This record gives sequence, structure tokens and C-alpha cells, in this order.
Amino acid sequence: MSVEEQVIENAKQGKLLTHKCTKCGFLHLSTAYYCLKCGSEGFEDVLLDGTGTVATYTIITVAPAGFEKYTPYAFVVMNVDNSDLRISGFMANIATPEDLPVGIKAKITGFDERGLLIEKQ
Amino acid sequence: MRFVEKVCVLGAGSTKYGKLADSIADITTQASVAAIKSAGIEPKEIGASYISNVFGIADKQVHIGPVLMSRLGIPDKPSLTIESACGSGSVSFREAYANIAAGFYDCLIATGVEKVTHTGTEWTTTYFAYCSDFFYEGQAGASFPGLFASMARAYLTEFDATEEDFAAVAVKNHDNGVLNPKAHMQKKITVDDVMNSAVVASPLKLYDCCPFSDGASSVILCSEKFAKAHGGDYIEVTGSGRGGSPAALQGREQMTTIPSTKIASEAAYKMAGITAKDVDFAEVHDCFTIAEVVDTEDLGFFDKGQGVQAVREGRTKLNSDISINPSGGLKSKGHPIGATGIGQVVEVYDQLTGKAGARTVKDAKVGLTHNFGATGASCAVHVFQSV
Repeated sequence: MSVEEQVIENAKQGKLLTHKCTKCGFLHLSTAYYCLKCGSEGFEDVLLDGTGTVATYTIITVAPAGFEKYTPYAFVVMNVDNSDLRISGFMANIATPEDLPVGIKAKITGFDERGLLIEKQ
Repeated sequence: MRFVEKVCVLGAGSTKYGKLADSIADITTQASVAAIKSAGIEPKEIGASYISNVFGIADKQVHIGPVLMSRLGIPDKPSLTIESACGSGSVSFREAYANIAAGFYDCLIATGVEKVTHTGTEWTTTYFAYCSDFFYEGQAGASFPGLFASMARAYLTEFDATEEDFAAVAVKNHDNGVLNPKAHMQKKITVDDVMNSAVVASPLKLYDCCPFSDGASSVILCSEKFAKAHGGDYIEVTGSGRGGSPAALQGREQMTTIPSTKIASEAAYKMAGITAKDVDFAEVHDCFTIAEVVDTEDLGFFDKGQGVQAVREGRTKLNSDISINPSGGLKSKGHPIGATGIGQVVEVYDQLTGKAGARTVKDAKVGLTHNFGATGASCAVHVFQSV
């Protein structure tokens, strides 16, 4: 399974696959092949619960092809619990900023043609 | 670093920016011929071309370089097409600069071009989304307005700023663009116009966004020896820097700063032997209003979080403390993405050689260009001085 396929399969279980540097311990998303901090190559897989808080987001009304039928929707950047990582994803049924205060709890719920799916907890 | 040659810009030209009927090959050639005539040179004096373009495929023409060279009567001269998303022009300029500085060529042409408006809003939005870190961003429905809107919301959350502050950036750039006959949007607007325009990706509205534009821009670069022997108006490139940022917004320590801008500008300032305070005017990458605020902070003109205060106080208007985007910027002049970085150099050339007409920055000696790709994943900054 490719690295991206592994991310997708874990997201479908509500999990976030991450890579922990075996030399310095720095935690990365699993698409990292070399450590951002120390440059080394060895990683161990760490599976995180795909929970977190909304760091920032936008509500998209003018969408790229394939996403028109979902508007309005949110593209969300989420702070991942128990880490310094963030992950981006698609959130359905968000129409106004009142629907999604920054800082609200959220979680990964799947992966489909809309990419990685995030919902409010 | 040691260079063999000082590098100058000897001529510059652009098509009008906007919705253009002519083909990508036609507008590439039109801008190039304008630059050649501006420099007062013959095409045969050009050693090679650097072409910046992202979506040539949309107008059925990739590998534009040889087409241009054939039309210029110099088909034996080499060319190279460079893609770095919306920052393609500045990166291409940098490659041309480096080749002159290293002594490989005495004279080069750098031409940027984009022709996309005929594909319509939905497909242009879609193509542009391919410039993101697609696995994490484009695939999840992020558009470019959406990514910058995410930066805008982070800025509104972190600092004392309002959507009206962002709108004021658009108003200022439209005021400048009215004075630029090549600008796409030659129309004054108000803060209310921005606030009442349709939401594209909240909190950004239509008038917070630059338009999709067609257009081409071209400059002639040469060694100082060539420029002096030639005798036309020229300016000197005194600083050149490039930088990178994590490709996706999620990977940045702060989402209200663009690391590549800091890296590129620090390198360019160091090479030029100046600081941000010495810059008289700057053409910065204002693809969205939030971007100009962030840029002016990351370039060192204002402290982090103070960019909006500077806008409120009118300190970035034409002939104020520092004239930001006297051309009208991407917001008003337009954003043909492969051309934009070269178009900024055209503006600096016109400003520093007394050809900028009603939008002239008075007594300007030092100009800066800042152009990035995507959400600033790639960036190049150049410093120019009058001679």
C-alpha cells in the first residue's frame, strides 16, 4: 500500500497515521520521508485518534469542479489532539461562520471523493 | 557569492491585462516585441529566452519558447519554460538573472504569459487548485480563494483586524490601477462595494480577490557592460533571493505568515546591502487582500499584526510612507499567473526610468518585486536601483 493509501485507509477508521522520527522523536504526517528537524530517514508509525480542534477554515461558495453540488461547505484546518500537527479536510453542511467557531472540537470521520472528511464532535 | 557580471534590465513591455482574444503565442510575442523595442535592441542580440507559464495546455500551446523564438527570427536560440505556479515569473526572472550574472549570456529575454479566461470561472478555479498540495488541500475541495480565506480567518482570530481593513487594501489598489492603462480593472471601488460583493470563500468576497486575467509581460536582461555600450535607459538588479515554505498551510507553524517571503527578502536585502526601510516602493503579491497585509509584514515594512494598521492609516498609498503596488497590483492590474512576476519588473522599470505617468512614485530610487507561487510555497524577491 502506498503512503497515501495508508493515510486514506486509516482516515476511514477515524484515525490519523503519523510518522515519529526514530532518532529525534519529532512527529510528522505520514507523507514525510525525511525528518524535518534532524534530516534522518527512520520513522515508526504512530496511530493517533483523529480528534482535534478547528484551527482555521473557510466556507466555500465558488467551488472547483466536482464540488459544486456540495456548496456551501467548509475546508477546515484542524489542530490534532496530543500533537503539534495539523490536518486539512472537507466539512459538509457549514453555511455561516456561526456554524463553526474557531477552536470547536472536530474529528476525522472518513475519506471519499471529497478528500479527508472532518466533522464537528 | 561571486558574480562575473552586474545585471541590468534594459527594456520592458506588456500587453494589456484582462480577457484577451489573441492566442497565447500571439500575446507572448506581442509583449516580447514591446520589450525588444523598449530596449532598442535587435532580436539577434538575445542569447536565449526564459518563458514563465503555468497553463499553456489550456490554450493548446505548451513549449512556447521555440514558438516565440521562431516568430522573432531567432529559431536557433535556446529557450526554457519555467513553472512555479503564480510565482513562475519571478523564478524565471531569477534564472535569467543568474545566467547573466554567471557570464553565460550578455543579453536574455524573460517573458511571462497566461491565457486562461476562456476556460471559465469553474475550470480556472479547478486548474489553480492543482497548484496546492493536492493530496491534502485541492482534493478536499480547497480553492485558492479558500486557502487565502483560511489565512484571513486565522489573521482575524489572531490580530486586531476586520474584514473592512482587508477591503481597504482593494480600494487602495484600485485607486492605483485607475492610473494604469494596462490594468485589467480600471475602476474605483469603495469599502462598501467590497463588503457587499458576493462571498467567494468566507471571509473573502469577490472584491477581495484578484481577477483571472490573460496577459503577457517581457523584460530584457543584460550585463552592465552590454547596457552601457548600448546607451538606453536601464536599471540595475541589486538583490535577488528565493525561498520556500511547507507546501500545505497545515504544515506552517503560523498560518498568518509566509516563510518563503521572509527567506527570499532577507537574501535579497543582504545582497543589495539594504534593509526594508530603504525600499521606496514595492510590487507585492496581492492575489487576495489578506496576502498584501501578510506580505508587507513578512517583507519587513511593518511589524507582524501591524499591516492592517498601516492600511488604515493610508501609509501604503501611492506616495505615502511606502507605495505598495503602484501598478494596481494583482488585485487591479490583474493576475495572468505566468506573467505576473515579470509584469512586476516591468512596473519597476517604468517607475525607475520615468515612464510610469500619473502613478509615478516621486523621487524613487529603490524598487522591490515580491511574487510567490500557491500560498507562498515558492517565492522570489528582487531589488532594483536606478542608475
